[in-house]
Amino acid sequence: MRSIGEYLRLYFMIEAQYIKGRMQYRADFIISSIGMFFSSLATLGIFWVIFESVPDLAGWSLMEMVFIYAFYMIAISPMQILFDHAWQLRFHIQQGTFLKYYFRPLNMMFYYMSEIFDLKGLTQLAVGIVLLVYASLQLNLDWTLIRIALLFITLFSAALVQISIVVIASCASFWVLDSYPVLGLAWKLREFSPYPMTIFDGAFRFAFTFIIPIGFVSFYPSQLFLRPQDVSSLIYFSPVIGIGLFALTYWVWTKGVNSYTGTGS
Amino acid sequence: MRGYLAVMRGSFMVSVVYRFGFLFTILGNIIYLSVAFFLWKSIYRSSDTIRGLTFNETFIYVGLGSAIFILLKTYVDWILNFEIREGAIASYLIKPIDFGLYTLFASFGSLLMNLAAITIPTLIMLIFVFKVEFVLGPGLIIFPLSLFMAFLVSFYIDYFVGLLGFHSESVWGLSTVKEIIVTVFSGALIPLHFFPEALQKVLLWLPFQAIYHTPLMMITRPDQSWNIFLPMLFVQIFWVVILFIATRLFYNQAIKVLRISGG
Amino acid sequence: MSLIHVKDLSKHFKILNRREGLGGAFRDLFSGDFRTVEAVAGISFDIDAGEIVGYIGPNGAGKSTTIKMMTGILKPSGGLIEINGLVPYENRIRQAQIMGVVFGQRTQLWWDLPVIESFKILKEIYKVDQKTFDEHMDMFNELVGLKELYSQQVRTLSLGQRMLCDITASFLHNPQIVFLDEPTIGLDISVKAKMRTIIKELNRTRNTTIILTTHDLGDVEALCNRIIIIDKGKILYDGDIKKVNALFGAYRTLKLQIDQFNETTLQTLNDKLTEKFGTDHGITISENEESWTDVTIDQARTPLSEVLNHLMTNFTVMDVRIVEISMENVVRKVYDGALT
Repeated sequence: MRSIGEYLRLYFMIEAQYIKGRMQYRADFIISSIGMFFSSLATLGIFWVIFESVPDLAGWSLMEMVFIYAFYMIAISPMQILFDHAWQLRFHIQQGTFLKYYFRPLNMMFYYMSEIFDLKGLTQLAVGIVLLVYASLQLNLDWTLIRIALLFITLFSAALVQISIVVIASCASFWVLDSYPVLGLAWKLREFSPYPMTIFDGAFRFAFTFIIPIGFVSFYPSQLFLRPQDVSSLIYFSPVIGIGLFALTYWVWTKGVNSYTGTGS
Repeated sequence: MRGYLAVMRGSFMVSVVYRFGFLFTILGNIIYLSVAFFLWKSIYRSSDTIRGLTFNETFIYVGLGSAIFILLKTYVDWILNFEIREGAIASYLIKPIDFGLYTLFASFGSLLMNLAAITIPTLIMLIFVFKVEFVLGPGLIIFPLSLFMAFLVSFYIDYFVGLLGFHSESVWGLSTVKEIIVTVFSGALIPLHFFPEALQKVLLWLPFQAIYHTPLMMITRPDQSWNIFLPMLFVQIFWVVILFIATRLFYNQAIKVLRISGG
Repeated sequence: MSLIHVKDLSKHFKILNRREGLGGAFRDLFSGDFRTVEAVAGISFDIDAGEIVGYIGPNGAGKSTTIKMMTGILKPSGGLIEINGLVPYENRIRQAQIMGVVFGQRTQLWWDLPVIESFKILKEIYKVDQKTFDEHMDMFNELVGLKELYSQQVRTLSLGQRMLCDITASFLHNPQIVFLDEPTIGLDISVKAKMRTIIKELNRTRNTTIILTTHDLGDVEALCNRIIIIDKGKILYDGDIKKVNALFGAYRTLKLQIDQFNETTLQTLNDKLTEKFGTDHGITISENEESWTDVTIDQARTPLSEVLNHLMTNFTVMDVRIVEISMENVVRKVYDGALT
């Protein structure tokens, strides 16, 4: 078995080369980054339009919504940057090119995901960081050391939740021919995570908290920084939820990999 | 013509094969509708009417929007780009068909499938689960025609972006920018009434409002009259013609480039 | 003990029968009609270290399925595979370290990277030390002259160059077994020759076991000392190449395009040939696509030139091609008892 250190070293080596290779397509990098930038701003535009008409959304102000959204942007970046290859899983499976990932003495999820390092995701991360700083300044948030540590822990957990949702959805292609709608649904759900979970009634809030826990991608952890006085104790379980969900994802992936038969004879 | 109908039938059948997917798309629509319902409910918490629209009117607009969303998404830009990159486009050029028409008819096939499998179930849900009531009037008669025009506008915008693939490898970026512009400025996400007045005026001069806003207005507007609807329909037709001509010219030029430099 | 031990191996798949037409497509939407296909139906063989084995058969015979089971991708439905005493399916990572695989035209190198960078990553993945790595690279450079390709991106290589790189890469970590699946498909003759040179050389110097699946009987003739013929999931022949070689060597197929071809032409052809060469002429005639007729001739019994002459004088032949016997015909001959 390889140690985590060895895998990390290998990962950096592969990505360094990958980025060098991608840099030859500078125009693509620029246009994709612009696309990413616009798509990051679209939701913000929607907030702005909504708040043109109403003073608050379920008791949350525009700037608080910007904070929640910024948290969300940062939390989904690791998925975008490190796990973007999940989107192409169904093509590899349909066309039989997925076979090659079996032939190396490596962890298959590692080997598969390491093949793409999505540069445009860095734009998303940057926009998220800028917005988070801006919103915290506007809201006069008090950043103590403990809070900063909590920020990193909750971001890490939120990132794992988001990665898990997308990777599990992409794994559907191991069993069904047309897995795109599953992935599409997971993607659509992602768009709801920067809204206050309190707008939903019982069943939906339950589902978004415990079944497809998109509440943990942004809203619940953000509360810890925006309104620490009335935060639910649920949020302290977020690392458990993040890690647990990722473990489940890894189990599903392994099942999928083992049940895959390859196309053709 | 018979050839093109065969293409349409073929793409219809290809979409039927994806039986599992429909369930998920419908499920996605249910979730989307519910989330939109709660979201707008909480937006309307502070007042009964916003920008002159009641919650009910807004929700009909948004709900119907989600029902026709899947119809008007052709994915032609992604498909075309894939074919250009893989070099499959050459196999169309040697066939005795018009490429633009071929692509259009292939989209008709999936349009019909989506209509049957997704839009109609979503409509039924809207009526029976969300108790949405439609405004009865001339709008209901003109709506199918307007929807078809909306499809054509959407198709030609996607087709145009798809053809850009002859010139650029940056498919993702171009399609994403297009997608955002279309969804935001067509009224697919938020009714155009909610936009600031000045922006609304600008949007009326762009083709995007012809995609969602126009057909949705036909069935949600309380003041139903032919005098309002016919000009709206003509604006849609105007955009179809303009986009049709523009994509033709662009295609001919792109093919010239292809023929010279090789695919 | 043998390196690879396969005993009563089988694999079956469930396949959805799709119904025809619009109505059928609709009905498939709601109910499935599955049937079981036996891709591999009980095969056994042993392969020793250092052998080059040709594993051949027509399309859909079960070749790839067997290879996938041996490489640990597929779990057998029944029977046993052991490589070095280990079951591949249960020990994928350990097995991968001692195996090299080249799967048809799908490259396993990094598409956007220069060739040499792919090799460096592989060096890390397989933990090859620098000295061994340098020696390997020098050796390959000598054999096939790869050096000029080092700085090129994999995506810019021609198919032949890419396949050479892939083959080279599969031997980099000095594996005990290399699986080559259709390594020469679509390549021109000079690249094919190079490919065969490296494979032979590596087998000779390092005693690497090589399992080759191919449609190209030329590959088999040039490389293998043992051949396993499989069809419909069962082994038809397993043994020395020499016997089979006689089979490929002796047979040639004449492809003819005959003017005014109709239903009776095949019969007339057969009558004419029997008239001239007697009933034991060893010639089989079959119709091929679009008015091409295949005349397969056993040269040990009837000389090809005489057959051709005879046909040219009796029929209006518009076009002629002479080809080596195809895989499908070899299998048909084996069925007919040519090897027993």
